[in-house]
Amino acid sequence: MPLIETKDLWKTYTMGSEQVHALSGVTITIEKGEYVAIMGPSGSGKSTLMNLIGCLDTPTQGEYYLNGKQVSTMNDDELAGIRNREIGFVFQTFNLLPRASALHNVELPLIYNGSASADRAAQAESALTKVELADRMHHKPTELSGGQRQRVAIARALVNNPSLLLADEPTGNLDSKTSIEIMKLIDDLHKQGNTIIIVTHERDIATRAHRVLSILDGQIASDELTPENRRTVG
Amino acid sequence: MIAPILLKIAVEALWANRLRSGLTLLGVIIGVTSVMTIISALEGMMGAIEEDLAVLGPTTFIVTKAGGVITSHEQWMEMMKRKPIDQKSVDLVSEGCELCERTCARVGGSARLKRGNNTMRRVFIGGSTFSLVDIVDMEVAQGRFHSYEDDLYRRRVIFIGDLVREELFGDADPIGKTLRLDGTKYTVCGVAKKRGTMFGESQDDFAFIPYGTHIKQFGAPGRRGIQMMIKAVSLERLEDAMDEVRMILRAQRHVPYDKPDDFTMLTADNILEALNSLTRIFRMGLIGISSISLVVGGIVVMNIMMVSVTERTREIGIRKAIGARQQHIMLQFLFEALVTTLFGGLIGIVLGYFIAEALVGMLDMQISPSTFAMVAGLSISTGIGIIFGLYPAMKAARLDPIKALSYE
Repeated sequence: MPLIETKDLWKTYTMGSEQVHALSGVTITIEKGEYVAIMGPSGSGKSTLMNLIGCLDTPTQGEYYLNGKQVSTMNDDELAGIRNREIGFVFQTFNLLPRASALHNVELPLIYNGSASADRAAQAESALTKVELADRMHHKPTELSGGQRQRVAIARALVNNPSLLLADEPTGNLDSKTSIEIMKLIDDLHKQGNTIIIVTHERDIATRAHRVLSILDGQIASDELTPENRRTVG
Repeated sequence: MIAPILLKIAVEALWANRLRSGLTLLGVIIGVTSVMTIISALEGMMGAIEEDLAVLGPTTFIVTKAGGVITSHEQWMEMMKRKPIDQKSVDLVSEGCELCERTCARVGGSARLKRGNNTMRRVFIGGSTFSLVDIVDMEVAQGRFHSYEDDLYRRRVIFIGDLVREELFGDADPIGKTLRLDGTKYTVCGVAKKRGTMFGESQDDFAFIPYGTHIKQFGAPGRRGIQMMIKAVSLERLEDAMDEVRMILRAQRHVPYDKPDDFTMLTADNILEALNSLTRIFRMGLIGISSISLVVGGIVVMNIMMVSVTERTREIGIRKAIGARQQHIMLQFLFEALVTTLFGGLIGIVLGYFIAEALVGMLDMQISPSTFAMVAGLSISTGIGIIFGLYPAMKAARLDPIKALSYE
């Protein structure tokens, strides 16, 4: 059973009297343990696809199965539950709560799944240790560097052991040196068995993945393995 | 299970915006304080009146020419034209009313009391038959009230209020001593227990002399007439006793069957009821006016909550993205409103109580913490929190996570 299976996904927005198709019939399958980059210029529909895969939105038409469960027909609260258990988000702008400590930020997903207070702290600490930030866990985001903030965000994404790590331009707000560090961390997470989807418009980021999906005008333009993976396969 | 954490998050958010939360709180405090002050002060005043009326026992009623609640000039004029209650009425009732345990005639006026160099002017001097002390809840602190014989022989004995004792006798024992009432010598037979003050007026500046003695010194009651105080045999028969008295008086006064009574009968309950209904509009008005500030307080809460939700759109987006359900977001914001209003409500109740006490204290009355006022205060502030917090909280809960996340 694939982790992600979409069948003919459409997302249509009505702008005035005009209908705009952000996605027009996307069918993809992603297996557990894959490392996939979604590429495309702005306006191509890659953000829409990410929102659908991340269960932040529902398609206008088509089916989406996550872990075999049909999520395209779920309501708001059911989707919130799926996001909480199955998906870890990493955003370009980190999206941490500015007033809360790193530890509290990482605890957040556990609060909404009803974990006990002691478990929350222990799990959050271990997630922060994984991203090598155990010594900074009582710092607030404003007291951390960009790279450290993104590590906190990654720890938050991992804390619930989700099926999927969904990163949207994770290095977009970082300098090149820090970008490399963060990408190494993501590579490592993949090696540890996490399924990763990374949305980017930078080719050298995308080539770190094993498979690149290119999107253009709301459709999959190409779906290919990266050169080194082709080598290993072929 | 999640609710306590959401409450904690709400409190932390309020604390993080201390100044703003404080100002919102102030709005709620002012609102609740004004309502609580009014409610407590009104309760205190009504309580004092009720206590005062309790002097008339529950089985006692008063018959008088004019009285009760007068609502129009016409009514007043009609009452003034009535025939006074005379000695004949008193005699007829005492002889004819079987359900009346005791009947007492009372007249009154004001006079000057003097002992040595101490003088009290304009003291209420009541003349009453001896049974008054059994009918009215007047406690004897020292000595005795006048007796049947005092009345019969028109003796010059006087039963004095506590203030009269204090002013004329100081610490000396007054029993058996004499004083002068408008120049006539009287012997003190007893002192009433101290009753304190009401609306700043002492309730102890009075004296009672026997009915006959009063008539002898001050003359017949004339057009003002006599006031009758009648005690029924039991509470169950009170209505019947009143009917009996009504029949006797209507017959004596030749009131045609199709005309209303040309006298007034009142029980303590009647008086209280009339007073209540007369002051109801006034009380409701006061509470209504003070409630305006409560509504303003609520609008302040709502306004700030709306700002807070808009300002924290991104936070809401983040929380939703990582799995917060609508109810979680809604509770979080509702808690913020509720904590503010409940906290403000508590402070307002305490403040309102003290202000009411100070106000009522100026009128020499006591108020006790009223459970009604507290329950009302707490439920009003909770209500305000829910009513004015619900809309912003629902707005927050229904935000689209994608739009909220990209909100700048």
